[in-house]
Amino acid sequence: MEVDYSTEAAVVEGNLRLAEIDRIISRPIEERPGKKYLLALSISSSFLLIGAICVGLTFFYGVGMWGNNQPVGWAFGIVNFVFWIGIGHAGTLISAILFLLRQKWRTGVARFAEAMTIFAVMTAGLFPIIHTGRPWLAGYLTPYPNQHGLWVNLNSPLVWDVFAVSTYFTISLLFWYIGLVPDFASLRDKTISKVKKTIYSVFSLGWRHSNRHWQHYEKAYMILAGLSTPLVLSVHSIVSFDFATSILPGWHTTIFPPYFVAGAIFSGFAMVVTVLVFVRKVFDMENIITLNHLERMNKIILATGMMVGYAYGMEFFIAWYSGVQYEQFVFINRAFGPYAWAYWTMVSCNVIFPQLFWFRKIRRSVPAMFIIVILVNVGMWFERFVIIVSSLHRDFLPSSWGMFVPTLVDLGILLGSFGLFFTLVLLFAKTLPVVSISEIKAVAPGSQPSHAGNHNE
Amino acid sequence: MNENKNLYGVTALFDSANEIIHAAKEVEKAGYKNFDVNTPYPVHGMDRAMGLKRSTVGFFTLFFGFSGTAFILLFAYWTMSVNYPMVIGGKPFFALPSFIPVTFETTVLLGGIATVVGILAVFFNLPSNNHPLHDTDYMCSVSNDKYGIVIEAEDPKFNENEVTELLKRLGAKKIHTVMNPGKESFPIFEGRFVVFLILVVLVVCGGTYFTLNKVLYLEPFDWMLEQDKLIPQEKSTIFTDNKGMRTTIEGTVARGYLPYPFKGQTIPTETLANPLLPTKKVLEFGKGKFLTFCSPCHGNYADGDSRLHGQFPNPPTLHSARAREFGDGMIYHIIVNGQNTMPSYETQTTSEERWAIINYIRALQRAKNAKPTDLQEVQKELGVNVK
Amino acid sequence: MLNKESGYVKKELPGNIAKIGTVFFAVGLILGTAGYFIEPVRASFSYLVAFMFLVSVGIGSLFLVALEYLAGADWSTPFRRVSEFLSSSIPLLIIFALPLIFNMNSLFHWTHTEAVAEDAVLQGKAPYLNSSFFIIRVVVIFGLWSLFYYLLSKNSRGQDSTGDQRLTKRNIVLSGIFIPLFAITATVTSVDWLMSLEPHWFSTIFGVYFFSGSVWASLAALTLIVVLLKEKGYLSQRINNDHYYSLGTLMFAFTCFWGYIAFSQYMLIWYADLPEESFWFLQRWTGGWEYFSIVLILAHFIIPFGALLSYPAKTNPRRLKFISVWILCTHYLDLYWLTMPNLNVSGFVFSWLDFVFPIGILGLIILIFNINAKKYNLIPVGDPKLQRGLDFTLH
Repeated sequence: MEVDYSTEAAVVEGNLRLAEIDRIISRPIEERPGKKYLLALSISSSFLLIGAICVGLTFFYGVGMWGNNQPVGWAFGIVNFVFWIGIGHAGTLISAILFLLRQKWRTGVARFAEAMTIFAVMTAGLFPIIHTGRPWLAGYLTPYPNQHGLWVNLNSPLVWDVFAVSTYFTISLLFWYIGLVPDFASLRDKTISKVKKTIYSVFSLGWRHSNRHWQHYEKAYMILAGLSTPLVLSVHSIVSFDFATSILPGWHTTIFPPYFVAGAIFSGFAMVVTVLVFVRKVFDMENIITLNHLERMNKIILATGMMVGYAYGMEFFIAWYSGVQYEQFVFINRAFGPYAWAYWTMVSCNVIFPQLFWFRKIRRSVPAMFIIVILVNVGMWFERFVIIVSSLHRDFLPSSWGMFVPTLVDLGILLGSFGLFFTLVLLFAKTLPVVSISEIKAVAPGSQPSHAGNHNE
Repeated sequence: MNENKNLYGVTALFDSANEIIHAAKEVEKAGYKNFDVNTPYPVHGMDRAMGLKRSTVGFFTLFFGFSGTAFILLFAYWTMSVNYPMVIGGKPFFALPSFIPVTFETTVLLGGIATVVGILAVFFNLPSNNHPLHDTDYMCSVSNDKYGIVIEAEDPKFNENEVTELLKRLGAKKIHTVMNPGKESFPIFEGRFVVFLILVVLVVCGGTYFTLNKVLYLEPFDWMLEQDKLIPQEKSTIFTDNKGMRTTIEGTVARGYLPYPFKGQTIPTETLANPLLPTKKVLEFGKGKFLTFCSPCHGNYADGDSRLHGQFPNPPTLHSARAREFGDGMIYHIIVNGQNTMPSYETQTTSEERWAIINYIRALQRAKNAKPTDLQEVQKELGVNVK
Repeated sequence: MLNKESGYVKKELPGNIAKIGTVFFAVGLILGTAGYFIEPVRASFSYLVAFMFLVSVGIGSLFLVALEYLAGADWSTPFRRVSEFLSSSIPLLIIFALPLIFNMNSLFHWTHTEAVAEDAVLQGKAPYLNSSFFIIRVVVIFGLWSLFYYLLSKNSRGQDSTGDQRLTKRNIVLSGIFIPLFAITATVTSVDWLMSLEPHWFSTIFGVYFFSGSVWASLAALTLIVVLLKEKGYLSQRINNDHYYSLGTLMFAFTCFWGYIAFSQYMLIWYADLPEESFWFLQRWTGGWEYFSIVLILAHFIIPFGALLSYPAKTNPRRLKFISVWILCTHYLDLYWLTMPNLNVSGFVFSWLDFVFPIGILGLIILIFNINAKKYNLIPVGDPKLQRGLDFTLH
């Protein structure tokens, strides 16, 4: 296929008019849920139920229900935490960084990705809390003047995490809500149901699409994007500090912050593609979430996958180059020790399979990309498993060596986290516009004045 | 000027972005100030067409963001270096590099919240669901796919006929007048809403009370009131012999607990020599151990005048001539073996501790039986005149 | 295929540019050579800093060119040539590396066989850190860069006359191959030339650190030249505030990125406080080097951050020129800070030589740029994205 570089590719295909865009996007909200939707919802909510039971067991009997034991004191709980936080990063990348880079194609996928960010951070946030064993005391993590006369330890990366994750959640939620306000207004003016109108009126805050508002709105959106961009980098960097500030070989290495961020974006995009492949089909949005969108996201998956590969290589090389025998042992043990299977799963899923995206045909084939992004999801989960478990299971003294085997409760909670995430995603898809109506209208063909913005006039 | 008090303004709808830009430019040029453009999405170039100034939202963000920076740095300084200083990881109390992450997060958090709250509440004056434009055909159209302009009656130049003429000339498709709502309504004071609010308050208060006073005392939320643990000298179900306190495994010796070779023998050995010198450190150490193990019977100054005096065979004073003539080895022997009513202290004390206790007893004995010459020696040592 | 709307007419740069370049280069060459005979070790180190500056601006610019193709950006097309010209020093790198290669013994501790024989750590690294493998790596890497520079710029220039869209396509493919290779080669270069100056020290993020500084400086060089050329009318007059704003934003972004990477590297080493890593920062915190470290934090992060934060700062040509020069000087300081404490371990020692080499390198960059500007168009007139780039507006 020949590309004409002298014109920009259209973001919205099929020459849709504004009213049609409105109709397509708001249809899933107005129609009653179909059989397939209910089936999907029941599957995901039963996973959620399994997870809830396992969490209940954990609370009642304690964290001893998990497979964690010396020397592997951090395992599934933290693996899942890092995994889900990482999933969230794609949403902010699409909504903030691509916005600053003026990538217009982001409009088609931004809303959905932002929602996934919020749900992923919610899922992730559960894990440190249940890991403490007494989640009802989680309030102690916030620095408030308390009866014990104690303060949180601001030197601890775990407290940095509390700050980072809660800030990230708050700002993502605000960013998402600000984007939703004009859409709520559109829905308010469309709906005929009185109950819905009341709800939409409350959430739209009486938005009037006034240009005196749009002006500040766009500026504020830009500022929030500017704040979210370093924020998203900081969040996974701080998660990486949990490991890298220690002196444990395999955890303490300076490349961790950018490496974790690249990995987070990588896994997040994989998850977004996984979900969007279904959404665009089920909701007939192939003209709004086009194959071009998916191809671009696949390119980003390829790029971030190679960044992750670079970090793997750099870690290995410097472990050897450092001349520190502990470092050298950890890395040889990773690749050839008892958890070698996990390591090679990670390498093949994260570095080798995404290389198929070099081929345009594979980038644009929905089944092929679906398989690859699923593999990437698996690989990125195993990356965290490898980093955490394989670094811990061989302590400095051979007498303190041990193995980690997950229990059924561990697996149940992992399943439950997917259940929670997908239940929230499914509920979102039926209650709110999954694509930003006002943003799509703004990039639809012919929607902008033909000679606007000419600064030289 | 506006004749009709109830008139809000005149609205006009257009079909394309080019038309609305043109219309906005013309209205601005005609000298109207109180007019607005309503479009389903931000139209490029509209800000300039309407003659709007650059948005000042950025200053809001900047101010609150940097307030966050200052606040968290002061907070970190106060909590970590003043109010509760603790050495953590060998770092200084005010360890700036490790405060950078929280500083950054707080900056972003405050800046972000201020931006959103700022535009909604200050710049947009939202929520305003009572605005006259709501629930009009005009609002439904601009919400969907039309572009509208509204000139408000408040504008000093406003004249209904002139405005309508101008909008017609600009090619508006539909021109309407919009009225202010006749009477202001306050849905907050409606009976149903008040009942709803009261219900919410009741549920929240009740739920909080119930959670904090009842739920949190149920298992497993019981603040660790019930814990399986070993209690010294109590029966325990953890081990088969029901003993909570454990004895050493046969054939092993714990550090500092080398067996005493003269155990059970009556003749004390004078071959045992005190390996410790009566330095200040040793005496302080011995004092602590003496006060823990010896003073309950022998008294704080070894006068045999403790609280137990008169309840048992009276514990002896250690300042008797007999006790003072004991060799160090003899006292050691008594501590290990016990004497008369006094039990053996072999398991409670290590050999080093016993020797330190003996040194301390010697110091007490010396102090209690001081001679005038001792005072002179002290004076010489300190170089002062003690009377 | 000349683009009518661009309003571009090819003009030669004024003659005194070549004169300034020649004078600077000659001063640097003569005084540098003299310095080499007076203080050979010091001169080698001083020259290494200048050489790394040349390398980082060269490959950083080539990276920007490749990134434009790969990302499909159009706003930077009207001045992509500036980056291409800046990267044209790449084929010369191997020649300018020769003095350093002949003086490896003064620069690199690991070349001393007697020192390696007594040092178990260095023996472990010998398969990588040895003179012959080092030279092989240098030749291969500089060769690869030259190859990609040649291909990318040839295709770009070829388009000037033909306007052939297939050349864009070809360059996109080349860029796709170049960028992963660039990541590896730039890392190896930074490890070889800078990190191995202290062969006991190691940091996995070092390649990223070098990359962030390089791209930052390359952007500053690009901005400075674009603003100067535009003011004097050598570029299309349709380059406007929005182009400036985008350049300023990118510089701002890379200021933050460098701050992020530098902080990560420092904080993690400071926090873990392992002696095999932290001594490197301790060296930079004793004997006067601490002032360099503090100045670096201020000049490399805090000042540019504040200076580039506001909208006017990113669009006002005067402020852009000032901050670009500032950034270029600071990048030089950064390289100096990486290199020099390895020579003056116990404390900072002043030498006039440190000012000689940057003058020479500056002259060299001006000369190369001038030669290119004489031969080729200053804007890619045949590029299909040019019109989009000229029409670029934020709103």
